[in-house]
Amino acid sequence: MATPLVEVIDLKKQYPDGFEAVKGISFAVQPGEVFGILGPNGAGKTTTLEMIEGMRSITSGTAVLDGIDVSKNPYKVKARIGIQLQSSSFFTNLSLVELLRLFNDLYTDESDPMELLREVDLTDKARSKVKDLSGGQKQRFSIATTLVNKPVVIFLDEPTTGLDPQARRNLWDLVQQIQRKGTTVIMTTHYMEEAEVLCDRVAIMDEGMIIALDTPKNLIKQLLARGFKSKQKVELATLEDVFIDLTGKEIRD
Amino acid sequence: MQRKLRTLSSLTVASLKMYVRNRTGLFFTLFIPIVLVAVFGLLSKSSGAGAISLNINDLANTQLSKQFVTSVKGITAFKVTTDSQATASENLGKGKLDLEVVVPANFGKSGAEGLQNAQVEAQYNKAKPGNGQTAGLILGQIVSGFNTTATQARTILSVKTVGVTTNNLSYIDFILPGIIALSIMQLGIFSVAFAFVSYKTTGALRRLQATPTHPINFIFAQGITRLIIAVIQVLLLAGLGVWLFSFHMIGSFAAFLFVAILGSVVFLGFGFAIAGYAKDENQAAPIAQLIQFPMLFLSGIFFPRDSFPSWLKTITDYFPLTYLGDGLRRIANEGAHLSQLGPELVGLTVWGIIIFFVTVRLFRWE
Repeated sequence: MATPLVEVIDLKKQYPDGFEAVKGISFAVQPGEVFGILGPNGAGKTTTLEMIEGMRSITSGTAVLDGIDVSKNPYKVKARIGIQLQSSSFFTNLSLVELLRLFNDLYTDESDPMELLREVDLTDKARSKVKDLSGGQKQRFSIATTLVNKPVVIFLDEPTTGLDPQARRNLWDLVQQIQRKGTTVIMTTHYMEEAEVLCDRVAIMDEGMIIALDTPKNLIKQLLARGFKSKQKVELATLEDVFIDLTGKEIRD
Repeated sequence: MQRKLRTLSSLTVASLKMYVRNRTGLFFTLFIPIVLVAVFGLLSKSSGAGAISLNINDLANTQLSKQFVTSVKGITAFKVTTDSQATASENLGKGKLDLEVVVPANFGKSGAEGLQNAQVEAQYNKAKPGNGQTAGLILGQIVSGFNTTATQARTILSVKTVGVTTNNLSYIDFILPGIIALSIMQLGIFSVAFAFVSYKTTGALRRLQATPTHPINFIFAQGITRLIIAVIQVLLLAGLGVWLFSFHMIGSFAAFLFVAILGSVVFLGFGFAIAGYAKDENQAAPIAQLIQFPMLFLSGIFFPRDSFPSWLKTITDYFPLTYLGDGLRRIANEGAHLSQLGPELVGLTVWGIIIFFVTVRLFRWE
């Protein structure tokens, strides 16, 4: 196996009030992967991401990203990655192009703002303000801002929460497009279908620990091997497929 | 280094754009002060020259006191009467008179060590504090002119002081430096505290922290933006005063601008301290009001502090807005040089240092 792009060893986070949000987790992410972190609310997904990103201090253990120790060089790490926060917000009164230009100037590597907007299909919104965008457009713009510095890996924290099915599937296409260009993606999600479609491997977290880590297919196989039988008869299509079939794939922003 | 400069300049340009595109902010920092200047300017104009009525009572009748009375009569802004003290007091009570001046009997009389100490007494009409303050200001200058003449050999300086008193100061001359000081305070406290706290609550600041830029750059950018706006504010308000309401800038405008910028830095410090401490707008608003409200009324911006009880006057002497307002006023009205503004400059600097340490101590990024 190639050298991992991200390597996390026995990572722990304890807050000043004594609460242990992450209780010693280890995993590695290979270059080019889409790596998913799943888990119920409060499982420690966001805290884990933020520690790897250099956004939150690490209590113990190590996180190494592209050969850089995160706790020693958080600013160096931030220069190499793109971060989409769970509830992304941007400066008000600036247009999308102005915001992308501003983000450009905060890094050494830069991208053409219009080219980025084209990638996320927002060219015609270049002069609009973020507040005038729909939920899906906001998330796409937010992803565009993570790409300005040509990052080796981007972090997406629940990128599709609150989006309608069309917008969600549109965002899946975008993530796959980013992966095809060679950027590694580490994401969290609450939607199992999403993880199945997008993620090469998933880590399932609960109460600050990783309780399973494998490809979605293998995890399902392992479950079935334990003699699991779904109560619901598995159909060849889901209700969401029906919905998309009836309302069309066209995105409604 | 070059990258850091680019980061800072880019953040500053972005902050400026955000500022000028925010209508509410512009309304409060530019429109309201202009309205204030216009209102007070028109008030000052409609009352016109000679509208300050003043009664002078010469109990000394010495050569010096006669000179003093003549000087006062020479001020075109005054309508001078020489009624008896009793009549004058009655008129003052009825509001017919703005100021009652009594020249004490020992004014200009020689004692064992030359001229005796004498205090000219002036009573304001509290209903028209503006007129009273203006008149008091002019009287103070005449007296100080006489002081120089009485205690020192005749020098060019005394001639100059007398020249200053003939500048015909009016109410706008008293109120405009005050309004400028007030605008600077409000720009510093409100425009920073609220904008910055909202970047904190919406998560825009956190998004910035996800980049390799240290967020201190953003604080500098926000500060520089407010300083630019402050300079525009001063130019605009002083310009408006000079152009429309014959405001007199006796001192140097550069010195005036320097004190204004120093004051802006101090009040920006207050703004950042509040923004850094407060978790959200609901917390920032009462703190900002608590700080600015007492100063608004007690720093001698709209009415003079001379009528305060002495304990209150002593406390308000140390308000940063008092230092700023007095400093600006002394440059504009008295032609004071920076070297003569010791207490004001030291006061503002000390406040600046205090607020810097308070901000560093209280600041929270989240």
